[in-house]
Amino acid sequence: MSSAVKEQLQQMSTTCDSLLLELNVIWDEVGEPDTARDRMLLELEQECLEVYRRKVDLANRCRAQLRQAIAEAEAELAGICSAMGEPPIHVRQSNQKLRGLREELDAIVPYLEEMRKKKVERWDQFVDVIDQIKKVASEIRPADYVPFKVPVDQSDLSLRKLEELTKELQSLQKEKSDRLKQVMEHLNTLHSLCEVLGIDFRQTVYEVHPSLGEADGSKNLSNCTIERLASAVNGLREMKVQRMQKLQDLASSMLELWNLMDTPLEEQQMFQNVTCNIAASEHEITEPNTLSIDFLSYVESEVLRLEQLKASKMKDLVLKKKTELEEHRRRAHLIGEEGYVAEFSAEAIEAGAVDPALVLEQIEAHIATVKEEAFSRKDILEKVERWLNACEEEAWLEDYNKDDNRYNAGRGAHLTLKRAEKARILVNKLPGMVDVLTTKILAWEKEREKEFTYDGARLLSMLEEYMIVRQEKELEKKRQRDQKKIQDQIKAEQEALYGSKPSPSKPQSTKKAPRNSMGGANRRLSLGGATMQAPKTDILHSKTARAAKKTEDSGTLSPSSRGLDIAGLPIKKLSFNATTLRETETPRKPFAQIMPGNNVSSTPARPISNDTEEENKTPKTFAALNPKTPMTVTAPMQLAMTPSVANKVIATPVSLFQEKPEPPTLLEEIEYSFEERRLAVYQARLMA
Amino acid sequence: MSAAAAAPAATGSGRELANPPADGISNLRFSNHSNNLLVSSWDKTVRLYDADANVLKGEFVHPGAVLDCCFHDDSSGFSAGADHTVRRLVFSSAKEDVLGRHDGPVRCVEYSYAAGQVITGSWDKTVKCWDPRGVSGPERYALSSVEGRVSMEFFDLSESAQSKKYGTFATGGCDGFVNVWDGINKKRLYQYSKYASSIAALSFSKDGHLLAVASSYTYEEGEKSHEPDAIFIRTVNEVEVKPKPKALAAPQ
Repeated sequence: MSSAVKEQLQQMSTTCDSLLLELNVIWDEVGEPDTARDRMLLELEQECLEVYRRKVDLANRCRAQLRQAIAEAEAELAGICSAMGEPPIHVRQSNQKLRGLREELDAIVPYLEEMRKKKVERWDQFVDVIDQIKKVASEIRPADYVPFKVPVDQSDLSLRKLEELTKELQSLQKEKSDRLKQVMEHLNTLHSLCEVLGIDFRQTVYEVHPSLGEADGSKNLSNCTIERLASAVNGLREMKVQRMQKLQDLASSMLELWNLMDTPLEEQQMFQNVTCNIAASEHEITEPNTLSIDFLSYVESEVLRLEQLKASKMKDLVLKKKTELEEHRRRAHLIGEEGYVAEFSAEAIEAGAVDPALVLEQIEAHIATVKEEAFSRKDILEKVERWLNACEEEAWLEDYNKDDNRYNAGRGAHLTLKRAEKARILVNKLPGMVDVLTTKILAWEKEREKEFTYDGARLLSMLEEYMIVRQEKELEKKRQRDQKKIQDQIKAEQEALYGSKPSPSKPQSTKKAPRNSMGGANRRLSLGGATMQAPKTDILHSKTARAAKKTEDSGTLSPSSRGLDIAGLPIKKLSFNATTLRETETPRKPFAQIMPGNNVSSTPARPISNDTEEENKTPKTFAALNPKTPMTVTAPMQLAMTPSVANKVIATPVSLFQEKPEPPTLLEEIEYSFEERRLAVYQARLMA
Repeated sequence: MSAAAAAPAATGSGRELANPPADGISNLRFSNHSNNLLVSSWDKTVRLYDADANVLKGEFVHPGAVLDCCFHDDSSGFSAGADHTVRRLVFSSAKEDVLGRHDGPVRCVEYSYAAGQVITGSWDKTVKCWDPRGVSGPERYALSSVEGRVSMEFFDLSESAQSKKYGTFATGGCDGFVNVWDGINKKRLYQYSKYASSIAALSFSKDGHLLAVASSYTYEEGEKSHEPDAIFIRTVNEVEVKPKPKALAAPQ
């Protein structure tokens, strides 16, 4: 208690005492009983006591309040600090100078208020992050978003916690951005697919999720959305592949049809954009609308059009192929087997009874077969051609030999002579040709187990027939030759009996006439004359030669006629008496001089073979010289003759006609060189 | 161009030789030592020309047609006659004698430098070899008989002449064309313009610079009227006779 209070209390007590005195006075005046007085004094004291008590209570209460306030403030401060993860603040401990509760309280309050402020700020931060989390989460995981901790309370406002939440936010944000990226990719893919397929992009996207169509605005990035988006992309991609395959099928059909029908290039180029992609892979096709429904229908309708065109051309194609088949058959000489024709009739195709494509296939197969068969026949066919050609030449030669005018030296006579020469060679080869052919045909028939036909006939039969005819001809020739021989023998006998006759002029003259171009007539006559100048010699020679010949049983031509005929003819082929039925000429004996018969020599250079009947193919060098009759040079020749001319062997004209028996088949060919002929001409001229 | 030529002497034919034989030319040969040209003919002559100077240097007349001729050296030669004789001709003295005979017209005569012998072939089917000095008869060992012809069979082509320089050769035929061939590469190198008549004979000069062409009807079509017989001397350009090897050379 302070001295002032004490003083006051003393004053009061003084006052109180005075008051009491006063009171006593009053009572005395009033005469208040003592009891009353005591009672009053007690009351007074009690009342005074209560007042004191009340004041004390009040003061007590005040003190209690203060204490509580401090405790509360401290508690709050501690709470905030702990919630915020900050170290607690002990005000009291930190400040010893504080006196009285009121000061303490006043000390805490600023701290408290500051912490309160901080807490609020911190909380704001949390709220911010949490809000963002909520927002992002709702964007990306709306349905199943269960935030792992959304602090409703504020029990943990620590920075660590804030950090956690911030991290979560960031990861959510990253996830969002990833998803967004994915979605954008999908959208891009979708966009290009839609372009290629000619589908409305916006509509498609809207169906996946409306939010995706917005240019701005947040897009729904949920798993569901992304899945739907992905499946939309896959769906469209599949569609693209399907349509692409269809387009490529159409394109290859198109190419086939163009190829089959020889479509002009301009038409083909109109579909360049289709055919260029025929081997493209899915990702290579990026042009807008290349796979749209409309485009596909367009291409499809073109293919359809082409197919219809093909169908209408089928008939033509079938006919064309049929013609081709027939051509192959014709060339291989397989015509004659017409059994297959019925299958391929055009009427059947038109009537729809037969599928033209099938028919075409069948014809192609036939063509392949025919080609193979033709190839196997090729060798034989070539030989047949040659044989036929030889037969033609043989026939020509037969005619030619019958022609008396064939030694006419007119224009082209030289060529005819050449042809005849070649023909003779060919004819000689004929039997050999037929042999070889027959062998080959037999081999072929054996291998292929069927007949070799030629234009419908069996080739072997044709060959056999030919050979038979040939043999018959040969027999006929031989028969006629034999007959002639007999006739000549008779003639010779007659002549021998009845003396020599002048050479029959008739056969000669008929022959001479056509030979004027050779200057032959006069010359020949003069030659004949020259020969006649030594008539005896000559004719004697002829006779003896004939006789010699007779003994040798050779020759059927009348020698004299031959003797005259041959003179002065420097041509290759010697003509015969028209009565001769021989079909080939006697060859000139080699190295026999073609000169008028004035150089009749006697000595043969070689012995004459007596086997003239044999089929002796070697030419006699000096035919039928009569070894017995010596001859002398009768007419002057421009030859440097030495006395030893007798040793020279010069063939006589007679000898030139030494009949050589004709081998039935092979005849020798003797050619005169141009010089030999020329020399004969010159020498003939000299004689003239 | 010879003014005496009856036929037009075309520039492309070469220079026409003056005083050609009067009838068909059977052969012509250039000498190995000079540009002397020996020509045998059906007019029974053998003529010697100086082809450069275009001058007739000498002439031998035989009894019959002369079917072939050849040089011995520059001063003498041989002839083959239709009169069956083989004659030796000495140009300087214009003398001739009979070297030998055959039994038939002598179709060809050749002098072999290697053997030092004259070789003749005849239509008597024999080939005979002779000593050019005419010492004796034919060498018996060389006598041979054949069945066929001795002279070349007639072809459509009548003559060949070798170009000495390149080993190419020329041929001429009844069609009047002269062709130059490369036998190794099997190609025709050149063809001269057509001559008026058949090519009866060809001969290259020793250095290959001249080609003598006998344009003379060869009786392939028998007796008929024909262009006059002529001899042309051509100057040979390298390009005409030089072989042209194939692009891929054959392995050597």
